[in-house]
Amino acid sequence: MLRYLRLHRIFISQHLKRLMEYKTDFLLGAIGLLIAQALQVMFIGIIFSQIPELEGYTFDEVLFIFGFSLIPKSLDHLFTDNLWMVGYSIVRKGDFDKYLTRPINSLYYVTVERFCVDAFGEMLTGILLLSYSIPRLSMAFHWYTIPLALVVVIFATLIYTSLKTMTAAISFWTKASGHIIHMLYMTNDFSKYPVTIYNKAVQTLITYVIPFAFTAYYPASFFLTDKNPLFCIGGTVIAGTALFALALFIWNRGIRAYESAGS
Amino acid sequence: MTKLRHFFRIYLPFSRAGIQEMVAYRANFICFLIGEIVSAFIMFFVWKAVFASSSQQTFNGFTLEDMVVYVFITFLTGYLTYSDGAFAIGEEIVDGSIATRMIRPCSFDMCFLFHELGSRLISIAMIFVPIVAGVEIYRCVITGSVRFDIPHFLLYLLSLTVAYGISFYFNVCYGFMAFFFKNLWGTSLIKETLTSFLSGAIVPLAFLPAPLAAVLNFLPFASLSYTPVMIYMGMYSYAEIAYRIGLQLFWLLAMFLLSKLIWRCAVKRLSVQGG
Repeated sequence: MLRYLRLHRIFISQHLKRLMEYKTDFLLGAIGLLIAQALQVMFIGIIFSQIPELEGYTFDEVLFIFGFSLIPKSLDHLFTDNLWMVGYSIVRKGDFDKYLTRPINSLYYVTVERFCVDAFGEMLTGILLLSYSIPRLSMAFHWYTIPLALVVVIFATLIYTSLKTMTAAISFWTKASGHIIHMLYMTNDFSKYPVTIYNKAVQTLITYVIPFAFTAYYPASFFLTDKNPLFCIGGTVIAGTALFALALFIWNRGIRAYESAGS
Repeated sequence: MTKLRHFFRIYLPFSRAGIQEMVAYRANFICFLIGEIVSAFIMFFVWKAVFASSSQQTFNGFTLEDMVVYVFITFLTGYLTYSDGAFAIGEEIVDGSIATRMIRPCSFDMCFLFHELGSRLISIAMIFVPIVAGVEIYRCVITGSVRFDIPHFLLYLLSLTVAYGISFYFNVCYGFMAFFFKNLWGTSLIKETLTSFLSGAIVPLAFLPAPLAAVLNFLPFASLSYTPVMIYMGMYSYAEIAYRIGLQLFWLLAMFLLSKLIWRCAVKRLSVQGG
């Protein structure tokens, strides 16, 4: 475990050195993500200039949910972005051999190799939204609120990472699965708004099938209302744990099925 | 006449290659499409909630039914006018393979255009009819009458074609940015999001403050999405449609000339490394 932490530090510092080489690239990526999120916030602002409440949610509450959704999303983006490359090209080109010949866990090695600093654009938006909305909301604040929030964020990030790992692992059988990752990943946008605005089918989908609702709306609604801790917080922890176990299982089965590109 | 036939003899093989590529990767395309249409459905639910949360029947001249048509036709228009030939230009400049393109006896933008048209043919066939049919059936069920109007639909197709042309040449211009930035990922994210906002794809321009909306209505971005969608919805009178399509043609010409100008300057500056 300690060895892995030390390795992680080395990998990140290596990556940061590479980044200094391409400063503008990094800045442009982060600015792009920042603008993308800012425009969505503007969309919410325009909506609320027409109506006082959206299905019973005030402007500040919607911003809180939106901001909350960006935190696990950006953390996952920051640390595991290389899974996209597994799905798109690493397996197809046979480059995955490299990860199997090192004395560290292959999933760990793949994710640690890329440290996607662009994600700071999303994270910054999330933090700004939270720090704008929280003082304006009359939220119940307990001694356990902050530690609980940290735990929830970890498990919510795990939901993202697990879903990406599973879909990336499909490429071990099919050679490429980037588009499957894309298809599943995009449904995370549903979690940015209160789940109550969707119809039953979508609600079921994002709660029980692809549980992105647990990355933002459910935990955020617990912090807002103090109700349903078991479902809102417990659900996030269970979904995160179960998906991660399943993801590891699929990943390991996939590695056994992996055949390098012949050449 | 023979000149025209000669023209197509040169460029149609590019389209054929595009079609073959698309057929080979059709499963990818379907997955990609499902991922992208999620955003349209989110907009749909958000607007439904907006109308449900208010006693008003219309917002800035849009009823809920209009809004739903707007969201899905905007998605369709955005998809059909999307052009990524630029990415290929960027990559070719970076890796130097643009050199072989320059010694070929055909114009570079026509090669990209025909290749892209070929690769879009299959996807257009797969997406166009279902979305238009879905929207029209929805409208029919909600309002109880057929709202589908053939003259407006044909004008939409015309406007859509011009919009594609603008998008194509706009992206060709953008593709030359590879001269300045090695990685196009960040800049294309900025371009995509700004374009989608300025073209009214995120929120109809009618919802923006009047002076801003007036400026955006004139800029080329509105010609990419807002103009064709509003024509489809029958929001414009015929006189206004004539003016809007005229404006679109003006921007098409402007983008075309700009891309030629940049190409000429770029060729002078180009230095391909290695060989």
